[in-house]
Amino acid sequence: ELWKGEEKMSIVPKETIEVIAQSIGITNLSPEAALMLAPDVEYRVREIMQEAIKCMRHSKRTTLTASDVDGALNLRNLEPIYGFGSGGPIRFRKAIGHRDLFYTDDREVDFKDVIEAPLPKAPLDTEIVCHWLAIEGVQPAIPENAPLEVIRAPAENQIYQQKDGPLIDIRLPVKHVLSKELQLYFQKIAELTMSKSNPSLFKEALVSLASDSGLHPLVPYFTNFIADEVSRGLNDFLLLFNLMHVVRSLLQNPHIHIEPYLHQLMPSVVTCLVSRKLGNRFADNHWDLRDFTANLVALICKRFGNTYVTLQSRLTKTLVNALLDPKKALTQHYGAIQGLAALGHNVVRLLVLSNLEPYLSLLEPELDAEKQKNQMKSYEAWRVYGALLRAAGLCIHDRLKIFPNLPSPSPSLLNKGKGKVINTEPNKRKLSVDSSENRSPRKRLIATDGSDGGPSPMQVDRPTGDANPPQNSVHPSSSEQASGGNAPESRNAKENQGSKGRTITRKAILDQIWKDDLDSGRLLVKLHQLYGDRILPFIPSTEMSLFL
Amino acid sequence: MDPEQVDEFVMGYLKKKGFNNAAKQLQEALHHNNGGTFNSTDYHNDPELTKLIRSFSQSENDPTRYRDGYSKLRSWAYNSLDLYKHELLRVMYPVFIHCYMDLVGKGHTREARAFFNSFRKDHEMIHLRDLQKLEGVLVPSHLEEMEFARSLRQSKVNIKICQYSYDLLLQYLHRTESTLMLGIINEHINFQVYSGQPNSSSDDIDAVTIVGSFQETADHINQKEIQWGLLEDSLEDRLEKTGSLLSDSEKGQGESKDGDVDDSKKRSNEIGKQGSSLKKLKKDKAGNATAKVARQETSIVSPAPRVKPELALPVMSTDVEESILEDLRNRVQLSSVAMPSVSFYTFVNTHNGLNCASISHDGSLVAGGFSDSSIKVWDMAKIGQAGSGALQGESDTNDQNVGPNGRRNYTLLLGHSGPVYSATFSPPGDFVLSSSADTTIRLWSTQLNANLVCYKGHNYPVWDVQFSPFGHYFASCSHDRTARIWSMDRVQPLRIMAGHLSDVDCVQWHPNCNYIATGSSDKTVRLWDVQTGECVRIFIGHRSMVLSLAMSPDGRYMASGDEDGTIMMWDLSTARCITPLMGHNSCVWSLSYSGEGSLLASGSADCTVKLWDVTSSTKLTKAEEKNGNTNRLRSLRTFPTKSTPVHALRFSRRNLLFAAGALSKPAS
Repeated sequence: ELWKGEEKMSIVPKETIEVIAQSIGITNLSPEAALMLAPDVEYRVREIMQEAIKCMRHSKRTTLTASDVDGALNLRNLEPIYGFGSGGPIRFRKAIGHRDLFYTDDREVDFKDVIEAPLPKAPLDTEIVCHWLAIEGVQPAIPENAPLEVIRAPAENQIYQQKDGPLIDIRLPVKHVLSKELQLYFQKIAELTMSKSNPSLFKEALVSLASDSGLHPLVPYFTNFIADEVSRGLNDFLLLFNLMHVVRSLLQNPHIHIEPYLHQLMPSVVTCLVSRKLGNRFADNHWDLRDFTANLVALICKRFGNTYVTLQSRLTKTLVNALLDPKKALTQHYGAIQGLAALGHNVVRLLVLSNLEPYLSLLEPELDAEKQKNQMKSYEAWRVYGALLRAAGLCIHDRLKIFPNLPSPSPSLLNKGKGKVINTEPNKRKLSVDSSENRSPRKRLIATDGSDGGPSPMQVDRPTGDANPPQNSVHPSSSEQASGGNAPESRNAKENQGSKGRTITRKAILDQIWKDDLDSGRLLVKLHQLYGDRILPFIPSTEMSLFL
Repeated sequence: MDPEQVDEFVMGYLKKKGFNNAAKQLQEALHHNNGGTFNSTDYHNDPELTKLIRSFSQSENDPTRYRDGYSKLRSWAYNSLDLYKHELLRVMYPVFIHCYMDLVGKGHTREARAFFNSFRKDHEMIHLRDLQKLEGVLVPSHLEEMEFARSLRQSKVNIKICQYSYDLLLQYLHRTESTLMLGIINEHINFQVYSGQPNSSSDDIDAVTIVGSFQETADHINQKEIQWGLLEDSLEDRLEKTGSLLSDSEKGQGESKDGDVDDSKKRSNEIGKQGSSLKKLKKDKAGNATAKVARQETSIVSPAPRVKPELALPVMSTDVEESILEDLRNRVQLSSVAMPSVSFYTFVNTHNGLNCASISHDGSLVAGGFSDSSIKVWDMAKIGQAGSGALQGESDTNDQNVGPNGRRNYTLLLGHSGPVYSATFSPPGDFVLSSSADTTIRLWSTQLNANLVCYKGHNYPVWDVQFSPFGHYFASCSHDRTARIWSMDRVQPLRIMAGHLSDVDCVQWHPNCNYIATGSSDKTVRLWDVQTGECVRIFIGHRSMVLSLAMSPDGRYMASGDEDGTIMMWDLSTARCITPLMGHNSCVWSLSYSGEGSLLASGSADCTVKLWDVTSSTKLTKAEEKNGNTNRLRSLRTFPTKSTPVHALRFSRRNLLFAAGALSKPAS
C-alpha cells in the first residue's frame, strides 16, 4: 500500500532513476535515494521543457523540436544533448524484458560508407514569392490563396417552391467545362472529317483519336457530331465513310469509355449499314462503306454485347427485318446480310440460312439477265447473291472447320470404327472418284503432319471434283459425314488406350459432335442444292476430298 | 464538551507547539484542580473557544484535512445560487493552488499530487499554463526555487466580490468551522467587496488573474501620469497646416467610391502608387531619415494632445521628409467599409528554419532571421522589376525563384552564432538590426551588406529588437528579464528596464518615442518611460505569454497578442483593457495598426490574417458603460492563407498591408 503510494509520488518511476544511475556508473544508489531523486528529476525535466517551449515560441513554431530542447539547455548553461539535431524521427526501441524501458536505436555507421556515399541533393534555397492575399478586403481566387468556400448550388427550397406548382422535374444544368485545348482539338477533327481534302492528315487524326488519352470529355461532342452529320449527309459518301472511321477510332481508343454513348452512336452506324442510298454518285462505292460498317457493328457487338445485353438482339432484329422485307431495296438487303454475316456464323446459320431458300427464290428473277433488263438492278442482285453466298459459305466453312486436323486413323482403329461406317463405306467407295479416294488417306497423313502446303495440290484438284453432278451429292456427303464422325472417335479411341476411365464422357461428347456433324452435313447438302458448285470453295479441302 | 477532554487538547496543543513550560504549568494546575477544589477555567464555558481549541487540536499535519476542506468548500460553491456562483467559484482557484503548495511545503508529496490531480480539471480551462508550471513542484525546496511559486505564496490575490457573496462565504466558513480554508482565504485573498448585484461573470478578466506580489504596486504605478500624445511639429501636423491633407483625403474618398464601381482600375492605381513609393524610397536610402506613423483627424473623436520629445531625435533629411509627406498625401483611407489590400510574402523552402520575418516600412525589403544564424534580406522591388508582376501577383512565380545568372536573389548576412530571433528595419530601410540567441544585437547596413556594430549587453538570448519610429534608437528585450534602450552610436545600452518577473518576449515603441512597451512571459505588459527608465504602466489580463505588441498611431491605445490567440486592446492612460478580441486559436505573432488607426491587423499561427474594426470597439465601450451588454469585439475579415503561419505584418504609409510567413507543411 505504502509502496504503491510512493510510486505515485512522481511520474518518474524509481526504476528509471536506477537505470540512469547505472548508465552513468553509479552502482550503489540506494532505493531511498532514488525515491528522493525522482520528484526532483521530474521538476527539472518540466523546467527544461518550459524553457524549450519558450524557444519554440520565439522560433515562431508550434511544434517542439530537439533544437528547442538544446536551446533550453543552453539557457541553463547545460551542455546540449547531441545526436538528435538531424530532424529525422527518433527511433526508440523497447528494452527486452522491461515493460517501460526504452533506448534510442543508435546504429553503427561505417565512416567509409558515409564518405563514399554520393552527396545528397542540395536542399532548395529559401525564396520569397509574393501574391495578393486580399484586394480591398476581398480574397482573389488565385492558386496562392486558400481555396474559397465551395460554391453552393441554388438553395434547395427554391426547387421545392417550384415543385409546389405543376410537377416538373427540374434538373440543374450541369456545366461542362472544356479546356481550350480540347475545344481546339474537337474543332480540328470536325474540320478534317468534313473537308475530305487531306486524307493523309485525316489518317493521322484517326490515329490520334484511337490512341490519345484525355479525349474522354469530347466523346459526347463527337457522338453528337456524328449523329448530326450522318442524318444530314446521307448523300455525301465520303463524309459518311470518314464518320465511320471516326467511330472506329473512338472505339479503338483504350482511354475512352464509350459505352454510355453507344445508344446515340448505334443509329448512325446502322444507318450507314442499311440505308437505301448512301452517296449520290454512281462512282460512290457504297458497298465498301457497308462492308466497313458491318465490321464496325460486329466490333461493337463483340465488345459491348456482354454489358449491353439487348444490343445484339435489337441489332439483329433490325437487320433481319430489313433483309426479309421484299419492299426494301437490294442495297439494304446487302447491308443487312453483311451486318449479319459479320456478327458471326451462328447468327448467319440461325437467321440467314433458315431464310435462305425463300429469299433465293425471290432473288432468282433479278439474277436472270434475261428477266432483269436493268443492268444496275442486276448488278445489285448479283452483289446480294454474292454476299449471301459468302455468308453461307463462311458459315459452313466454320462448321466444318471444327475438325480441321483429323489425325490419321491407324488401320486397327479404322477397323474399330468400321462398324459404324460400314453402311456408308461401300457407297462412298462406289461413288467416289477412284483417284481421289486413293489419295485421301495420304492426304490426311500430310494434314496431320501439320504441313499446310498439303491442301494446295488438293485444291488444284478441285476442278475435277467440280465435275461431280450435283444430284449425286447426297451420298457423298453422308459418307463424308460418316468418316468425319469416325475420325474423332478413332482419335478418342487412341486416347482410350491411355485412360479407359474417360470413355463414357467421351462418348457423350462424341454423340453431340456426331449430331452437329450431321447437321452441318445436311446444311452442306442444302447449300449445295441452293448454290450448286459455288459453295464448294468454302468447304475445307479435307472434307472436300471426302465430299468428292 | 467534557472539560477533561478540553484540558487534554490544550495540553496536546501546547506540547506540540513547543510550549513545554506552559504545558508543565498547566498540568500542574490541573493536578491541583483535580486534587483540590474544582475551579473551572473560563475556557471551559466558552463554546466558541472550545471549538477553536478543538480545531487546533486536530493533528495539524494531517494532509487529508486539505482535501476534505477543499472538496467541501467546492461542493458548497458549486451548489450555491447561480447568481453568486461565479463569484464564489472564483475563490476556488487561489484556495486550490495554496492548498497544493501547503501540502508540498509540508512534504506530503504523494497527497499533494493526488489532491492536485483530482481537482485539476476545474481550473484547466482558465489557468492551464499556471497549472503546468505548478505541477512540477513536488518537494519543499522547489517552492523556494521556483519564482512563480514563491511570488504566489508571498502575495495576495485581489478578488472582486459583491457584499452578499462575501457574506455567504464567511457564513459558510464559520458554520462549518473550516478554519483551514478560512486561514488560506485570509492569508492569500484580498476581497474587494462592493455593494449591489454581482457582475456578470464575463466582465472582469483580471479578477481571476493571479499576479505576483505587485498588485498594489501595479495599482500604484498605474496612477502615474503619462504623456501619450503625439510629438509636436510632426509631419502630420505640417501636412494638416498646409491644408493639402484635406483635399487629399477628399480625393481618397472619391477614389474609394470609384473603386466600388471599377475595382480593377482602383487596384492598378494603388499598385502604381506603391510602386512609385518603393522606387522613391529606394532612391532616398542615403538619408538618415525618419518615418512616421500618421493619423488623420477625420475619424478619431478628439485630437491627440501634443507632447515634447524627451529624447534628442535625429534630424530628417528633406528629401526623405518629402517622400514621407508624399506617401501621407496618397494614403488610402481605411475604415470598416474600405478594406485594405494585403500583399503576402511567402517564404518557401525554409526547412522549418525561419524564426522571424520583418518588412521594411515601405514593404520593399523583407528580412528573414533563421535558426542557422543567418539573416537573408530580399529586395522585393528588384524582384518585382523583373516582370513588374511581383506586386500584381500575376507573374509566374517560378521565374522569381531563380535570379538572373542563377544567383540567389537575397543578400545573406552572416555574423551571429545562434538562432536569429528578431530583425527590424530602420524607417528608411537603410539599416537592419538583428537579435540572436548568442546574446548580441547586430547592426547591418543594407547598402554595404555588411555588419557594422555588435551590441553586447544582454546575458541571455535576445528575443526581440525594435527600431524607434524615428530611427537611431532601438529597444531590445531578453530572456534575462530586462529590456534595454540603445542608440546606434553607442555599444552600451542607454537604459535598462528591469521589473518583469519572467522573460521579456516582445518590445514596441510608442509613436512619440518617449515610452516603450514590453510583453512578457509573466503575462503582463509594461510601459516604460524611456527617459527615466521607470515602469509607468502595468497591464494585467493576459492568461499566457505575450507575443506581440502594437501601438495605435495616435498613441492612445495599445494592442497585445498572446500565446492563446487572445488580443487585448488597452487604453494607455487608464491601463485598462478596452476589449479582448477573441478569434484566433493559436499564437498571435504579429499586430499592426493601419495608418490612421481605424483598423488593426493580426497575424497568427493559425494561418490567418484578421482585420479588426478598432474604432467600433473603442467607441462601444463608452456606450457599453451605459447599457451593459454589447458585443464589443468586431472582427471584420479573416483571410486564410494556404498553410502559412503569419509571422509579420506591416501597414505601409499608404495603407497597403504587407504580410509575411513561411509556407509549412499542413499538419496531417
